[in-house]
Parts: sequence; structure tokens; C-alpha cells
Amino acid sequence: MRAALQQLRISLTLHYRNKMALIYGYLFPLVFLLAFYVLYRHERVVLARHMGELLTVSVLGGACFGLPTTMVSERERGVWRRYRLAPISTAMLVLSVIVARYFILITAGLLQLAVALGMGMPWPQHPFDLWIVFTFVSFAFIGLGLVMAMMADNVPAVQALGQCIFLPMLIIGGIAVPLASLPDWAQHLSQFFPGRYAVQALQACVAGPGLGTTRFDLLALLIIGTGGAIAGAKMFRWDAQQRFARRSGKAWVSVALISWLLVGTLAEYRGRLAASARPAPEQTGQTAPASGTAPAGTTPPSSGTNPIANRQATPKAITLSDAEKKAAGRSTQPPISPPDGSSPAPKQTARAEKTPPAKTAVPEKPSAKTDTPAHPTVASWQAVTLADIERDLVFDRLPSDSGIVTPIAPDEEDPDPDTADHLRYIQEMLPSWQPGKVSDPVQRVRNMLYVAAVPDVEQLPIERFAPQAVFYQLQQDIPKDQLIKVLYWIALHPTDGDDKAVGELWALRFSNDPVDLEQTRERAAIYGVKLLGRLLGKLPRGAS
Amino acid sequence: MPKVIVQDLQKRYDDVLAAQGVSFEVEDGEIFGLLGPNGSGKTTTLECVIGLRQPETGRIEVCGIDARQHPKAVKEKIGAVLQTIALQDKITPREALTLFASFYKRAAAVSGLIERFALGEKADAPFDSLSAGQRQRLAVALAFVNDPELIFLDEPTTGLDPQSRRDLHAEIAKMKRDGHTVLLTTHNIDEAEQLCDRIAIIDSGRIIASGPPRDLIAASSSAQNVLLRTATPIDRDWLAQIPGIDDLTCDNAMITFRTTTPGAALAALMQIVHERGVEVVELHARKARLEDVFLALTSDQPPQ
Repeated sequence: MRAALQQLRISLTLHYRNKMALIYGYLFPLVFLLAFYVLYRHERVVLARHMGELLTVSVLGGACFGLPTTMVSERERGVWRRYRLAPISTAMLVLSVIVARYFILITAGLLQLAVALGMGMPWPQHPFDLWIVFTFVSFAFIGLGLVMAMMADNVPAVQALGQCIFLPMLIIGGIAVPLASLPDWAQHLSQFFPGRYAVQALQACVAGPGLGTTRFDLLALLIIGTGGAIAGAKMFRWDAQQRFARRSGKAWVSVALISWLLVGTLAEYRGRLAASARPAPEQTGQTAPASGTAPAGTTPPSSGTNPIANRQATPKAITLSDAEKKAAGRSTQPPISPPDGSSPAPKQTARAEKTPPAKTAVPEKPSAKTDTPAHPTVASWQAVTLADIERDLVFDRLPSDSGIVTPIAPDEEDPDPDTADHLRYIQEMLPSWQPGKVSDPVQRVRNMLYVAAVPDVEQLPIERFAPQAVFYQLQQDIPKDQLIKVLYWIALHPTDGDDKAVGELWALRFSNDPVDLEQTRERAAIYGVKLLGRLLGKLPRGAS
Repeated sequence: MPKVIVQDLQKRYDDVLAAQGVSFEVEDGEIFGLLGPNGSGKTTTLECVIGLRQPETGRIEVCGIDARQHPKAVKEKIGAVLQTIALQDKITPREALTLFASFYKRAAAVSGLIERFALGEKADAPFDSLSAGQRQRLAVALAFVNDPELIFLDEPTTGLDPQSRRDLHAEIAKMKRDGHTVLLTTHNIDEAEQLCDRIAIIDSGRIIASGPPRDLIAASSSAQNVLLRTATPIDRDWLAQIPGIDDLTCDNAMITFRTTTPGAALAALMQIVHERGVEVVELHARKARLEDVFLALTSDQPPQ
């Protein structure tokens, strides 16, 4: 025991004296984190949705590159041969190596998590579960690293072998590329890789239901880790010249491979593919997220960044062409025409709009920081005129439909089969979705726009297609002239009304992950202007 | 009772028999040398004895323990310095000694080892900053970390400068004075002759001679070696009349030969030189050394 502790202490001490090891072990995971943060548009909640991938990449790198590189380089230079002269067992040496590596991995994971939290990522929903799952993930990949260390004769061989495992695992193993976006064959293949189970289990603890839904993932990781550990121990060699401790050593690689095959076969047998590639209704419907779960410490966006409000002191007049006026269906001073009996009285609507947001961390009104009010003469949404729209809104500053913010797929584009299934479901359910039927037309439109905005904020595969369904449904439900006014009103009052409808999206098969409400409201307003532009003929329909 | 008994040791690497029927014994308190050219099998033999390699056949007993059956028990009683001094770059001598001391049931005080092997200045310096001599001293200190009964040294002075070599020779001699038994391998004949009580000459995986160096020399031949260097070349034909000489070589102005009758041979040689008016630059006549024995024995072995 004394020897194992000394060995552990020296392993860690030497690791922390090695600059390259520190760079690979601690800096690279942070680089991955920052890369994800940038790639996913600096969105903090989305970061939580990718934490499983980030932690898996860290463990994979540390266990499949760091561990075998250290072991093979020490063996190559004869350090282990020197150890072998001492009366210590193979098991003691391997155990201390494993424990040291686990400590390195868990500190790297904690650092990564701490930095992510510093960036504003919500606190993991199940921290204790996360530690348990992280231990399983570490065990699985350390087992794999041991096998690699025993197979590779030198450090370049470790790098080559590591790439052979690392890259497929990243691309088709469910680590760097979302499973749902992979072709069918790749999704089946990914079930034979440990990366998929690592990501799923970790993610379930960061922003999901926790350990309860990860039993198979943990079993898979346990089987793969055990297979690797047995194979690694049986293939163990103290000496670089000693190919394998026994002549049958190489055959033990098959134990590791069999564990992967076993897990993949079990997963296929259990039909896990369909269950995990798309959100399961029973999971998404467990609890709707409270809209007040927006990350603490969020700051309101600068009003100057609002892409839709015309902030010019003397706004350039927008002259509607005849066609545009026709498209708008109204004269430049459209009469107020209550759509139907179900619509609330304007006074009630106004009251409803004046209700302060129920939740925290909502952004300030876009005009709050401007000296000149953007809508000085518009008292209520019913009083909106085309002149107001022309004065206050510009359509050429909108984000492109083909961009990453508020994207809209062109009409001719077909979604992939899974997304198409989800889209059909939304289209079927949207007419009866309760938040889309509230009496206040402004809140009703706002709620419907959330259906487009949330997938955009969360960068879901359906983000480019949901707006079409929402636009269609809004035009079905609300008369055009009223819809134009409401959309204008929402564009200039993105923070008004409530956002409870975000918590009802589970009924449309969206996950119950927490969502950044500030961004959701901003995106809803932008989508509103995009629809408004289409209604007014200022933006082409189905523009790409 | 011998500290080491090796009987009929056999070790094969693929098609090559690195040790074939090696047998020897090392007595308590002596310095025993395995002497042989590179690739002769001496390191393989030593590594089989200390448990780094598994022989195919043979009996190995160390400190009265069957080393093949109980390698861990043997390792508690021995210390070894391998050819390559292998430690991590950033480990310090103090950390290395502390780590290795933790591996043994009985361990010497680390501070005492640092002092004994003159590592005080570099005790907390990384291994990659040590000189070759300091590394070798650390390697020897590591071999003493468990206060062993028996020390194995595998070509311990290879790569050392003369001063470091001399220091290590002194340290090995001290080991014997302190009551340790030492088994070393070397291809340095002078080192073996100087340090070892007994040697075994090994070639092509076989022990071809063993015993105290002086006995090996005495047993090999009573001939003396003669070397003559002259100012001008000597014709080889002039030397044909010298009685009782063997292995004559004539290289321009230098001749060598062996003779069992040095008085008659030298008198005849001097007469020839005098008659031909050749000036003598250098003349040596000496008895055979271990090197001569070694070369004579190893050159006679048939190729394997």
C-alpha cells in the first residue's frame, strides 16, 4: 500500500512537472470548451447541452492519448524495467497508474466545468450523478488506453493508434457530431463505440433526468472498461523489447474488441437506436422547465444591437409600392378591425401587454437606452399603422434566413427524416396547442413565435423548419391586418407579455432543457419581423 | 554456502541460443565477474538470475531461494544496476530513492544513501540535469536502497569517464569490504582482472573458462610475449633462424612472437639485430595476461 501511494504521488508530481502533459491534459479541454462556446454562438444554455460531448472529448484525449503516451514512453526508456527489479506486482503498478490518470481526468473535467460555469452555463442538474457517470466514463476509456499502451511499441505508434480510435469516435461515435444528423448506418455503428454512451450518460446528468435514464449507458461503459482492463492486464509488458508477457498476449486484444461488440449487439437488441436518436416524449414531458430558470447573472443585451428596430434619429421614410400596399391588404392607414368574436377587447389586450414579465432576467425594451422613443405615437397595438412600421422597422438589417441566427429553410428544402417526423408532429399539434389559443392576440402570436425561437436558441435540427409551420399557423389563425399590427408591436416590445409558453413546448416534443429566455424573446421578435416582412411583401416568401 | 547457484541455464531468442547450459556459482562475499565479448550472453545470463527474463530451462538459486519459483523473495535480497540508467526526466534523486525504498520491506535511509553516494548537491535536481557520473552513482544508490545481500552490476563502467570509472571501482571494492557479494558483467578485461576474485569467461552463450584470473592466466600458457621495434625495417627471413618461437608477426619495423624459451630466443634476436646494424627502439618481453587468455579462448570458439 505504501508503495502504491508513493507511486501515485510520484506519477502525479511528474505529470504536473511536464509542461506538455499539462497542455494536453488541461489546456486542450479548455480550448475545446472555448471552441464549442464560439461555434455555438456564445450561448450559455447551449453550452450545457454540449457538456457531455466536451467532457467526453476531455476523457477520451486524456485516457487514449495521455495515458498510453506516458506509459509507453516510460517503458521505452526502461523505467518500468527498473521497477521490475523491485518486489512489486503488476497489479500494484497498473492500479496506481489508473488512479493517477483518474485524478488527472477528474481535475481536468472539474476545471472544464468550472470555466463553463464561469461563462454562464447553468449548474449541472445532477452533480453527484455526474461524478458517478464521469467515473464510469473514465474507467471505460482508461481501459481502452491500457490496451493501446500494451499494443504500441513506441510513442509514434500510440499517436497513430490513438488517431485511429479518436477520429472515428468523434465523427461517427456520437461525440462531436450529433447522432441525429448521422446517416442510419452510422447511428447503428455508433452503438459499438463507447463515446456514444459516455456523451449520453454525461449529458443526462448535466442537463437531463440524471442517472435514472443512463442504466444501459453505464452498463455499456462498465463492459467496455472491464474488457479493456482485462486485456490490458493480460497483455502487460514491462519491457519495450518484450512483445507480450506471454506468447498468447496479442490474442487478449480480442477481449477488448468483444466487449465493444457485446455492447453494440446488446444495444441493437434492445432497440436503443430509435429511443436515443430523437427526444423521447416520456422524457421531454416529465417536467416543463420553469421560465425563471434563466441563468443567473445574465445581462440585458444592448439595445443598440437590436437588428430590427430603426434607431435613426430621423428615420428614412419607407414608401410602400402599390404592390406592397396590396400585399399588406390595407391602405397606409389600416382601420382597426377586431378579427372575430374570440379576440379580446383592445383595452384588455393593452392591459395584458402591460402585465410585467413574470420571470427574471428579461432584457430591457429595445428603446430603453435611446433618447428618442422609437414609437412615440403608438399607444397600443390596435393603433399601429403602416407609417409606424415604415418609421420604426427596417427589413434589410435582418439576419439572413440561411444564417445561424433565426434561420428559415427555403420552401424547396426537405428536412431529414427525423426532422420531418418532428415537423409533421408540430404541424399537427400546433392548431390545438394551448398557448396558441390564448385570448390575447399579442400573447398568442408571441407564444407561437416561441415555437420558432426556442429551437433556434437551442440550435435544434428543426430550427430552420419550425418557423414555416409557425408562420403558416399564424396566418391561418389571425387576420392579416391584425397580424401585421401585432407583429410590429411584438418587434418593438420583445420583453413584454409572458414567456410561460416556453414551458409548454414539451407538448410539441421539444426537450425540457433550460433555455435562455432573453435570447428566446429576441429571436421571437426577429422571427416576427421576418413574417411581417413577408406579409408586407418586403421579404420574399420562402427566401433562402 | 554459495550466494548464487546457476545450473544448466538455457535461454533462447527465436532461433538464437543466448545461453546454453550456463552453470556457475558465486560464493558469499566475493566479487564474481562474467567476462565476455558483446553478444556473448553475459547480460542475458545476469537478467535471468535477477528475474528480468525467464529462461527455458535451468536452476537458479539466489541467497538459498529458488529464484524461478520465488522471484519476489529474491528481489527483496538483491540490488541491481542495469546497463541503462532509466528514470523519468523530471524525477529527483531524493524522490527516486524514496519511491524505490517504498517498494521493499527493509529499506535503507534515503538521506544516508544520498550522503554515501555524494548526491547531496543534486538530491533535488531533476534526473535529466545530472551528469553521467552522477546518474551512475544514483543507479548504484538505488541498488542499495534495500540494503541488499547481493549486488548485480551489468557493465557498470560503460560510458564513464576515467575518474568516474575509478570512483566506481573503489565503490565496488568497498562493497566487498562491507561484506556484500557482487556479481558483475563486463567486457573490460582489465576491470575484471582488477576487481574480481573469480571470473567466468562466457562466449556464444557458454562458459568456456572460470576461476581466479591468475589461475586462468597460469593455466592458459607459460609462454612469454616478445615485442621488438626497430629504427629500420627487418626482413622476416632473417628471423627464421631464431629457435622456439611461435605466432611471429613482422610489420615493417615491429615484430612480435611468443616463446617458451625466452633466454635463447632473445639472445638469437639480439645477435641478428647486431649483425645487421639495426638500431633497437623498443624491446619488451612479458608473461601472458588475462587479455591474452581471453583472446585465445574466445577466438578458438567455433561459430554458432
